[in-house]
Amino acid sequence: MSGIRSAAAGIALVLAAGCTAPAAPRAQASPQSTVCPAPAGAPGPETATTVEVIEQVYFCILGTYYSGATLDARLLLTAAFTALTRELNRAGREVAGAVMPPLTGDRQADWAAFAAAWRTTTGQVPGLRDRLAVATVEAMVAALDDDHARWTHGLKRPPGYYDGDGYGLGLRASARRPDAALPPLFVTAVEGGAARAAGLRPGDIIESVDGSAPFIGGRATAAAIDALYPSYPQAAPVRLRMLRRSTGRRWNVTLKPGLYPRDPATLRAVTGRPLARGVAYVRLTGFSGDAADRVLREIARMRAGRTLTGVLLDLRGNGGGSPAEAIRLLSAFVHGKVTAYLCTAAGACQAARTDDTVELLGLPLVVLVDGGCASACEHFSSAVKDLRAGRLVGTRTAGAVSGPAEPHLLADNTVLTLPARHHLGPGREVVDRIGVPPDHHVPLTAKDAAAGRDPALERALSLLHE
Amino acid sequence: MRKILALAAGLAALAASGCAAPAPPRAAAVPPAPVPATLPAPAGGRPVGTTVVYLKDTSRRDPWNPDAEARELKVTLWYPAARRDGPRAPYMSPRESELTLKGLRAAGVPADMLHRTWTNAVAGAVPAGRRLPLVVLSPGFTKPVSTLTSLAEDLAARGYVVAGIDHPYENHATTLPGGRIAECLACDVDSDPGFGTGLVQGRAADVSFVLDRLPAAWRGAGRIDRERIAMVGQSIGGAAALAAMVKDPRVRAGVDLDGTTYARISGGGLPRPFMFVGNPRHTPGGADNSWDRDWRLLTGWKRWLVVSGAEHGSFTDAPLLAGALGLTPAPGTLPAARAAEITRTYVAAFLDRHLRSRPQPLLDGPSPRYAEVAFCPDACHGS
Repeated sequence: MSGIRSAAAGIALVLAAGCTAPAAPRAQASPQSTVCPAPAGAPGPETATTVEVIEQVYFCILGTYYSGATLDARLLLTAAFTALTRELNRAGREVAGAVMPPLTGDRQADWAAFAAAWRTTTGQVPGLRDRLAVATVEAMVAALDDDHARWTHGLKRPPGYYDGDGYGLGLRASARRPDAALPPLFVTAVEGGAARAAGLRPGDIIESVDGSAPFIGGRATAAAIDALYPSYPQAAPVRLRMLRRSTGRRWNVTLKPGLYPRDPATLRAVTGRPLARGVAYVRLTGFSGDAADRVLREIARMRAGRTLTGVLLDLRGNGGGSPAEAIRLLSAFVHGKVTAYLCTAAGACQAARTDDTVELLGLPLVVLVDGGCASACEHFSSAVKDLRAGRLVGTRTAGAVSGPAEPHLLADNTVLTLPARHHLGPGREVVDRIGVPPDHHVPLTAKDAAAGRDPALERALSLLHE
Repeated sequence: MRKILALAAGLAALAASGCAAPAPPRAAAVPPAPVPATLPAPAGGRPVGTTVVYLKDTSRRDPWNPDAEARELKVTLWYPAARRDGPRAPYMSPRESELTLKGLRAAGVPADMLHRTWTNAVAGAVPAGRRLPLVVLSPGFTKPVSTLTSLAEDLAARGYVVAGIDHPYENHATTLPGGRIAECLACDVDSDPGFGTGLVQGRAADVSFVLDRLPAAWRGAGRIDRERIAMVGQSIGGAAALAAMVKDPRVRAGVDLDGTTYARISGGGLPRPFMFVGNPRHTPGGADNSWDRDWRLLTGWKRWLVVSGAEHGSFTDAPLLAGALGLTPAPGTLPAARAAEITRTYVAAFLDRHLRSRPQPLLDGPSPRYAEVAFCPDACHGS
């Protein structure tokens, strides 16, 4: 194995799958669990998910999740049993005894009752046991309805994968999350693959996806929007009805998901260039382990031999990463402040503070944000806004900043990540699900995308030039 | 976010070569102070000379240094020489030694320790021979090409001209004309997706430029047979060998010493000879799938060798230098001299086979003389 890259396989997979969701931020000090310890090194090969693993997940959530101490554990077990019965039904089977046992509210006793019912039920359909176990764990984690609570299992690298490859249709569209989508649905970027081969362009309107309208009664059709972002091993072709407004042309394309190469130059996490009148533009695609230093080096490089008048930080599509890096970068613009509170459900909070050893840049800041700015990116943007360290331009952020996610190793060598603390903004406001509203709302239209215009960038520049 | 340097960065670079921190000294025994390393004498019989040429590609910007409008390259040549006498070339400059040791986080070692390494090549010796085959060498990430000196000197003594490329900003210290030092700017961005892919594309362009310009840049270049060119690299330098072959048909054959590969071989496959040589983690079906992926796309003569006891750095000078850095090899790893012998022997056999059309039974299958070397994918289980 080459020296570099060996340990990156897991992350590369996530990237290959075209996942825009935030990477798990690095662990911060938190209660360590003996039920589900932090992984030490790369996990071994995955084994079957057994009822013992389900038990581990149940007690891991109760023991380490930020609201684990207070949540009603019966909700987890009910969700788990519901999923069990639905998965049975999907397999075309039924078990007469698959009945939810009565629960009392005693966490241990309820688990014992659930486990007995689970064993009895799955014992009738041994061929389905693995599949039912997976559905059970997925449902228990999904019951938390928390973007940062995840169970990672069965990840496979697509055969023929090369470092930097994307996986999917090769396009990005104006909607990623159905609940924040507005009509019309249009292509915002063509990265490669099937979308490029089919000749799609930014600004092209997607009128239907596999025959479904993307919006019905003004509400986004979740299945239609999700179908635009298949992840490996999903490989079913997706049929799109397209409209190019500039010519009035309507046509159908069928895009097959697959691996496609991307230009390495576009994958750099930090890129900078000087813009008119001394504005330093820096794009940061994620808060990786050295993100703050890389951004600051880029600014210093532009500052050498040039008078800078402001910093334009482009965080659109920044899926997050390390909260520590978000804090470090923020500390180049403001000192002596609380950037966030990390709290238990009972309200015990730790304050995250600026790192005042970072030298202040002394430059005005405008930050570009959108619905792809998630997690540590929202930690950063909410603090910029609350602390008046700069102005936000664009659209509301993702609302996916539940809290720093921490990994836990399960007995089947899969990993469960859970936030041990809930994230609140500097004003103790909840940012998760709600997102951070920009100071200047500048959405991208299909017409802008078709013309290659970036109205948010233009607005940001005019603010810095004022 | 990513731990990609787990095996390569800092001290791990040498640790991966099979070295571990020394045991604490026992009360009575004071360990001897480390002394500079001595590279083993080449097995080939010819005297070896070495010199450095600098090239500047003004057609493209440097991929790492945004302030550099041209891509500069430092090429170290090793070649058969007319005479054996003369001052031995330094392994690297004192400043390069200092920065390389700092990059490796080697503590408590005199800053010029690598500079004082004993080499075999005579600085600036007059070249000898004619119609010599050419071998391009490319080192691992963060490493200067001098970490392949043991291999380079041996190949030159066997009658090859060796052009070792230092790709600036991809190692801890490359001296450029005027005494400027290029430090590792690529190290700042090595966690980005597509980093390896982009890096080997850049190295392939570096190699083509060297092949274009070497005749004008070095007065010994008339002795090179330009129809017989191969490339050998370690780690990402091995990946670069494959990338250069994909891009430039002048490179007729290639060897990848333990490098995860990144270049995309087009659907028709690569019909020219190629050889993988890896440590046991590069056994088929291992965590790195790149060799498995590419093996199917290599449609010409090919070999996949796995060397038991080898570490990532075993195919470089790292084990030879370990003692000078106060490191002792981990138990069970290939001894330094043996690692150097296996690397030299198998690389030379490959080159003799494909550039000189000399039969090489050594490459036909397992050899009792080199029992460590298994032939994959068919016969390497349990290696």
